[in-house]
Amino acid sequence: MSGGTTTRVDARGGSLFAGSASVRALVYVALAALLFGFGAIAPTHLASEFVLRIGAGGLLLGMLALSVAFLMSQAGLVVLGAASVYGGVGYLFAIAMSKWDLSPTAALLFAFCTVIAYAAVLGALIVRTNPLAFMMLTLAAGEMISHSVMLEGLRDYTSGADGLVVTFKGAVFGMTAADFANATQFWPIAWSAAWILGFAAFAVRRSRFGAILRAIQENEERMRFSGFGTYLPRLAAFVFVNAIADVCGLLHVLNSGFVSPESLGLSVSTNALVAALVGGVANSTGPIAGGVLFAFAQDQFGAHGFTQLLTGLAVVVFIVLLPRGVIGGLIEGARRRSVLSSKRRRTA
Amino acid sequence: MLEIANLSVSYGRVRALDGVEIAIKGAGALHGIIGPNGAGKSTLLDVVTGRRSPSGGAVRYRGKDVTRKSVAWRRRHGMARSFQRTSIFQDLTVREQLTLIARHLGDDRLGDVIEVMNLGDCLDEKAGRIAYGVQRRVDVALALIGRPELLLMDEPGAGLSAEETLNLFLHLRDLVRDRGMAAVVVEHDVDAVFACCDVVTVLDLGRHLATGAPAEIRADARVIAAYLGSAA
Ligand SMILES: Nc1ncnc2c1ncn2[C@@H]1O[C@H](COP(=O)(O)OP(=O)(O)OP(=O)(O)O)[C@@H](O)[C@H]1O
Ligand SMILES: [Mg+2]
Repeated sequence: MSGGTTTRVDARGGSLFAGSASVRALVYVALAALLFGFGAIAPTHLASEFVLRIGAGGLLLGMLALSVAFLMSQAGLVVLGAASVYGGVGYLFAIAMSKWDLSPTAALLFAFCTVIAYAAVLGALIVRTNPLAFMMLTLAAGEMISHSVMLEGLRDYTSGADGLVVTFKGAVFGMTAADFANATQFWPIAWSAAWILGFAAFAVRRSRFGAILRAIQENEERMRFSGFGTYLPRLAAFVFVNAIADVCGLLHVLNSGFVSPESLGLSVSTNALVAALVGGVANSTGPIAGGVLFAFAQDQFGAHGFTQLLTGLAVVVFIVLLPRGVIGGLIEGARRRSVLSSKRRRTA
Repeated sequence: MLEIANLSVSYGRVRALDGVEIAIKGAGALHGIIGPNGAGKSTLLDVVTGRRSPSGGAVRYRGKDVTRKSVAWRRRHGMARSFQRTSIFQDLTVREQLTLIARHLGDDRLGDVIEVMNLGDCLDEKAGRIAYGVQRRVDVALALIGRPELLLMDEPGAGLSAEETLNLFLHLRDLVRDRGMAAVVVEHDVDAVFACCDVVTVLDLGRHLATGAPAEIRADARVIAAYLGSAA
């Protein structure tokens, strides 16, 4: 890389961003708005339906990865049961409509709230344990739920291995079941949801609550000796990430019109974890980008028939070469470069 | 202020504390605790602050039995401590950790703590990056936030030179007098303790050996036999 180029780019950047911090913030907001609008509309014109489908699936996986990544980076806890929420909310939605005759919107709310209540109860029991036990307990709870849908006694509700077709009459948030299933219409929804959830996670990270979580992660004992309760913040964080997974699962079932035991399976949970690691867990962009990357890579690998092998290889490569993930690595690289060039400017 | 009544703690077969009785009276007094390694000094602070529950006896604070209260409860009610092994937030800047705790405890006079502990120069550095001696001061500063009524310090001079320790103690004595709080300080450096503390307690092998003014303790035959004689 030539030093001249860097300096010139920097000089231009310097004059552009020379104003106060608020001007810079405005520029960032404008850029983000542009990117958001472009990303919501352009692909629906440029990409094929097939690519849109994979892309939207990637965003859904990315949002699930976001929930895993948030708890990992803010509380040092790894969730291995994300799928039980992701698939579970779909089952609840379907059952509430078909068995209890709730309207689609009411069923949606019912499913969402039930999952939140479940997360609160599970969290209350397990966030006190150590990180390893916590991980195993989320795994155990997830496996229990995924096996329970196969129970003979619940077959009336869950249809066992066959899964459930989820259709509804009328509209949810102004969209019919056919609209949700349409790749061109669903893409902007998934895109917007990814941004909203990403910003929510960003805001929580930046808040006082986020600071408390990270301080607890670093030195829980000193936090208690500073007058903080350490249990409720962790529980709140657990419920928060499950709310993300909850939204994500609802979008999934609305889009696919189908739930099956597969959506509750361990591989959904591990895919989310891998996507989080591939993208990087330290910010909101990382896991979402990781999910999209993962979805397209899986599609490519699938075409060659070695999905698992190549996925495994890619994971090893990412974790060894880019331990902060793709986005984390990019940020780190940019930071190092700006430190270098500012040093150079000072010496010049 | 603080009454420690017939306190016992066992680790398996080891009796770390054995029927210890101490009363910490007034405000504005610095109470030193000395004793050989393994005497149970840290264990005593652990029980008083709620880090460990005793196998027998009680801790009374401001006339109330607090033996079963949580660590956070005690801290919010004015009982603060520092640690023998520095316990701060390495990944946060000094300012971040001080303000986080100050806001929680509703302390709007953080400037005083920063000034008293002389941390003005390193506020924006990550605590893990600053010198060890300064980290020790951050540890004490975290305990001073919120104007505690009872401050317990476990070897604040650990890792500091004799001169630095004496300075720290003089400083602490002034602080305790100015603010009218009660302070208990565990320390190996007996010279600093005798120079600055108003009352001194000696522990040995988990038992209470003697409590009194520095001059009395220095002259106590049992203390000389158990501790000072061997240390000198
Ligand atoms: N976690 C523990 N498990 C088992 N034994 C312990 C534990 N902590 C302390 N002890 C024992 O309890 C006794 C008192 O220890 P304590 O740390 O309270 O002594 P101390 O007076 O603070 O010593 P020092 O001057 O070395 O800090 C010692 O015999 C020690 O070995
Ligand atoms: Mg000790």
